[in-house]
Amino acid sequence: MSEHPTPPENGQKMAPPGPAANYLLLSAGSIFTSMLIAGFIVGYFLDELFDTRPILMLACALLGFIGGMQKVIRLTQRLDRVVPENKND
Amino acid sequence: MGTVEYIQHHLTNNTIGEGFWTFNMDTIIVSFLLGALIIFVSARLGKQLETGTPGGFQNFVESILDFVATNVRDAFPGHNPLIAPLALTIFIWVWLMNFMDLIPVDLLPWLFQMITGDSHAYLKVVPTTDLNTTLAMALTVFALILYFNIKIKGVGGFIKMFLFHPFGKFFIPVNIVMTFIEEISKPLSLALRLFGNMFAGELVFLLIALIGGTLAVGAAALFWAPLQVVLDLGWLIFHLLVITLQAFIFMVLTIVYLGMAHDEGH
Repeated sequence: MSEHPTPPENGQKMAPPGPAANYLLLSAGSIFTSMLIAGFIVGYFLDELFDTRPILMLACALLGFIGGMQKVIRLTQRLDRVVPENKND
Repeated sequence: MGTVEYIQHHLTNNTIGEGFWTFNMDTIIVSFLLGALIIFVSARLGKQLETGTPGGFQNFVESILDFVATNVRDAFPGHNPLIAPLALTIFIWVWLMNFMDLIPVDLLPWLFQMITGDSHAYLKVVPTTDLNTTLAMALTVFALILYFNIKIKGVGGFIKMFLFHPFGKFFIPVNIVMTFIEEISKPLSLALRLFGNMFAGELVFLLIALIGGTLAVGAAALFWAPLQVVLDLGWLIFHLLVITLQAFIFMVLTIVYLGMAHDEGH
């Protein structure tokens, strides 16, 4: 790699999402589901570790559910930041 | 062969080895060949580049390059010379692997059975209907996400992300578990989405193929065979959209996830 990767400048952080971000909405469903599955997986391994099955598995699944909801809401809220092309709209 | 056996036969990989060390040879060889095709075509095109009036194929490739570059600019904050080539490779490779779905479902297995002389030889030609392929690609992207997370934010920043995100400093144990779940869900959603869509698409093709295979007996063929052709054509045209969309989404999500890894505020 000839150039070093750099983080975005501060001004870019809150920039409205480009059109590509709209396609993310297509994946909102799978993001939600995978958060739930990932919760079960993490909980399963924690249960193996602490020998507490099924408490942590259920707790982590609940966390995954909450996180999934939060992610989907954030994803849809991103669209509100899109600046309309025509200000008269 | 009954309908269940027909479907099971088409959805079984040609494997070598046992247990954990089972290699799905058809998946590996087909994806390898498609990767080699990309390298061969781009190397050949690279030698024949014209600056004045480019030919049709060069125009086509340039439009794909433009398309990917626009998406990287839109979805990726900051600057990293690795992202655009990675996105382009993912898009074209995944699209080509998905495209294997559009080849008639019985053609390549039939040819393979003719060549090997084994009438029961397994061949599953669409690499993306194999969870191993999609999960391997997703885990590669996941490894890059972790690498850039640590490189950009530093080890301290990376650990801080686990400790204080998303519920603040008073919920550190919950935050650690939550961030773990979030990180694991990234490759999981990438892999499962592509696999699920392609597997379902392949299954529908198999079911349509069964219309002619099982129902078209005698005079009934006059009704069922044209129906199969119409349904197959309809699903093929629709699936062309699906394979492009899935390749595109895999690419965009890779860019977005890597963009999040570059975002220090995240």
